[in-house]
Parts: sequence; C-alpha cells; structure tokens
Amino acid sequence: MYHRLDPRVKLLISVLMFATTLLVRSLYELAGVLAFMVVVAAVAMVLRRVARTMMFTATFSVFIFVLNFIFTRNLETSLLYAARFVAIVVSTSLFFITTSPDELEQVMKTFRLPRDVVFAFVTAVRFIPVMFLDTIQIMDAQKSRGLELEKGNVLKRVRNMIPVLIPLVVNSVVRSGELAEAMESRAYGAVPKPTSLVEYRARTADRVVAVSAVVLFALAAYSFYFVFPARIL
Amino acid sequence: MHQNGVKALDGVSLKIGSAETVAIVGENGAGKTTLVKHVTGLLKPTTGDVTVDGQNTRKTSTAQLSRKVGVAFQNPDHQLFSESVEEEMSFALRNFGFAPELVEQRVRWGLELFGLEEYRKSSPLVLSGGEKKRLTLACILAWDPEVVILDEPTVGQDSIQKERLAGTIRMLTSSGKTVVVVSHDIEFLWPIQPRVVVMKAGRVLGDGPAAILMQDKGLLDSARVAQPQLVEFFERLGERPHAPFADPLDARRWVEETRR
Repeated sequence: MYHRLDPRVKLLISVLMFATTLLVRSLYELAGVLAFMVVVAAVAMVLRRVARTMMFTATFSVFIFVLNFIFTRNLETSLLYAARFVAIVVSTSLFFITTSPDELEQVMKTFRLPRDVVFAFVTAVRFIPVMFLDTIQIMDAQKSRGLELEKGNVLKRVRNMIPVLIPLVVNSVVRSGELAEAMESRAYGAVPKPTSLVEYRARTADRVVAVSAVVLFALAAYSFYFVFPARIL
Repeated sequence: MHQNGVKALDGVSLKIGSAETVAIVGENGAGKTTLVKHVTGLLKPTTGDVTVDGQNTRKTSTAQLSRKVGVAFQNPDHQLFSESVEEEMSFALRNFGFAPELVEQRVRWGLELFGLEEYRKSSPLVLSGGEKKRLTLACILAWDPEVVILDEPTVGQDSIQKERLAGTIRMLTSSGKTVVVVSHDIEFLWPIQPRVVVMKAGRVLGDGPAAILMQDKGLLDSARVAQPQLVEFFERLGERPHAPFADPLDARRWVEETRR
C-alpha cells in the first residue's frame, strides 16, 4: 500500500520525519518519533530492511555517542545525538527503500532540476547494486589468485584491497563511457524538453496521506515546544 | 541455496578424476558458474560436501584452495589491476611465495604460450578483450595448478585463438591436469571430446562422453544446448542409404584428414 503512494508524498513523509528528528529535544520524544518510523516501516512492509539499516547505523551511532560523551560529559545528550543519527538515516532510507529509481527520477523532474543532473543521480542510484555485484565478483577473482583479504593487520588489509578497488574503478569508468555512448546513440539530449512516459497525478488517497502527514508534523512540533516541559537541549 | 530461497544447485553429485577434461554446459542460469565456485571454495554448500584432492572446501579458504585450483573467470576486467602485464602475471605467484627466478621463468612461459610477449611492459588495461582473456588464462596457468577451471574461455576469441586454446587444453590434460570448461561454445568443445556434464536449473541432466551425449537431441534440447554441427551433419547423412560414416567421431576424423 505504502509503495503505491505517489513518490512525492513518500518524499514529503520522509522529509517531515527528518525534520521532526531535528526538532526533538528529549530522548522520550525521539523514542516516539522512532516508534512512528517503525510503524511506517511496518505499514510499508519493509520492517526487516529498516531493521538492517538500523543495525548498520548503530555502529556509527556508537562512535557518535562516544565522541559526544568525551566532549560533553552528558549521558543524555550523547544518547540523544546517537539515537538521532539512527532516526535521520531511517527517515531517509524509508524513502529510498520504498521508491524505485524510476519514481525517484519523476520526483526530481517535478522539482524542475536539470535533466542531466537528474539522469546522473538516478543512474548512480541504479548502479549501486551493479557495483556491489562487481565488487563480489572482483573479490572472488582475486581470492582465486591467492589474495587473502581477511588476513593481516589493518594496513595490510587496506593494501590488499588495491587489487579489488582498481578493477572496480576501471570497470565503472569504462561502463559510464559505454553508457554515455549508448545514450547518445539513442538520441539522449536531442530535444531540450523530452516527453515523459509516466506523469504522476495525485489521487485522493495521496492527498489524504499528505495532509495527515503535515497535520501530524504540526502536532508533533507544537507538543515538543509547548506541551512537554522536559528539555535537555 | 540462493538468497531468495531457490536452490541454485540441487542434488548435484559429481566425481571428477585427475587428468580428466570436463565440459559443463547448459543454458544461462543453469548453475554452471555456481557449481565451479563450489569447487574453488568461493561458495560453500548448504548441504553436502565438496572435496578437492581430499580437502573439504568448507574447512579450507579459497586462497589456500587456489594453489590447487586455478579459475579463469568469465570477465577478465574483474581481475586485471596491475601496472604491467608481467606484474599482473606475477601477482598470484608472489601471493603463493614463489622464488623471484621462478616467477620470471613462469611469466616468460605464460606470455610465450599465449602470444603476449610484446605486451610484457604494457598496461593490461589497454589490451583488447581477447588479449585480456588470454592474459587471465596465462595468469592462472603460471602457477601450475592441478585443476584448471575455465569459465567461458572462448568469449571474444577469434577462431585461431580458439584452436590454440583447444590445443592448450589438450596439452594440460596430457600433462596430468584436470580441466573443467564452462562454455556455451559447443563447436569449441566438440573437437576436444571432453566428458560433458549437461545442467539445467541447478540439476545435472546428463553426464558422459561428448561423442555419446551430443547425439542425444532430446537431452540437449531440454537443456537448451545446441548440437554440434558435425553431429547434426552425421545424423542427416545417416538418414540416407549408404551413410559414409560409422559415428560422429568418424566424421570428425574425416574432416580433420581432409583439412590436412
């Protein structure tokens, strides 16, 4: 259901959730925002992927917590910053998890961004899984030539990544050149304003969800500043 | 087992002896590359075991196994990274701790074998697709592994290079190496006369000598594998009275004699 929403509405929800995480000033409020995000993820049926994102960001948030604690000596503030980082990542990843590169392209076009910028950005997003697959295949090829990626100290491990990184970069550069040629040979840039295959029109459901999201955001912002007195920032 | 729950390989049971040449054929997605990745230890089976020269691949790292099993992957661009061809060739040799004199000797041997001497000091990245492919083969053969796996070795190769490659495979087999070739190129495989393993949807549909298996039109059709032209020619001749050849191998011998 969430996946079928107009991508502009999904972007609005993510932006509002992002803004809310910046407005919160206590751990309780942030816990509420995070809980709301989990509910959205459950409705969108991407709970497992969001959980993976949270686990991944947890490592960085520990780092943020430690740094903040060293400099502020305030446990609650440090915890808030660390948890806020997780919330920010979850709010943005909810949009990217539920939006296809094609939808992303349409969203960017509605903001009248230059076509080349939109194309470059969307292509970069679309090629992330391809590059990931490339990385695995390159690692396989180098491991089959006796390269031990998991052995040695940090410096040696970094040095061992050179045989992986060079083919990855070279392949990406070659692929981008080939893609540019293929696009040009299919009349990319031939007309200044090309027509679009899909044009989004907001449905009633989209409008209802968008208005509800704005109202919820307004309520949350109001309650953070005027209802709950407990503040740590 | 694939991430989405599909069995990438299902009930595969194979025993490959030393000095044997085995061709693995089948349509795209049949599980050919997945199978050879199990032999190198890059993939570990969820059930069952893969044993290479008595070593269980579960208990051995790929880097350790690679001393025995050399794989030339389908896309040469996935492994070339060095500043020069000679450095590229010596990469694995240095990883395995070969002495400098031996490295030099093996590099020279590999470059000569694949006609790449003139590119010795060139960057491997500027070579043509076919040359890159030959370089990756040379890199593998340089450390003299007991098992050589070639994944689609004929892609981007002209007919002369294909013949050379077939000769190299025969040479490897006669020197006691086990060669496993994953290929769609039936015309390339047919003259080598390997043992053929036909795969479809992760299963082995057929396993036997090329001369017999390649005549099984039903099996080849179900695995979407083309029949070699010579076998098709032999079968069409067989439909006529007084067929001149006893079997496809006889027809092959006749073709080779005529060439001479």
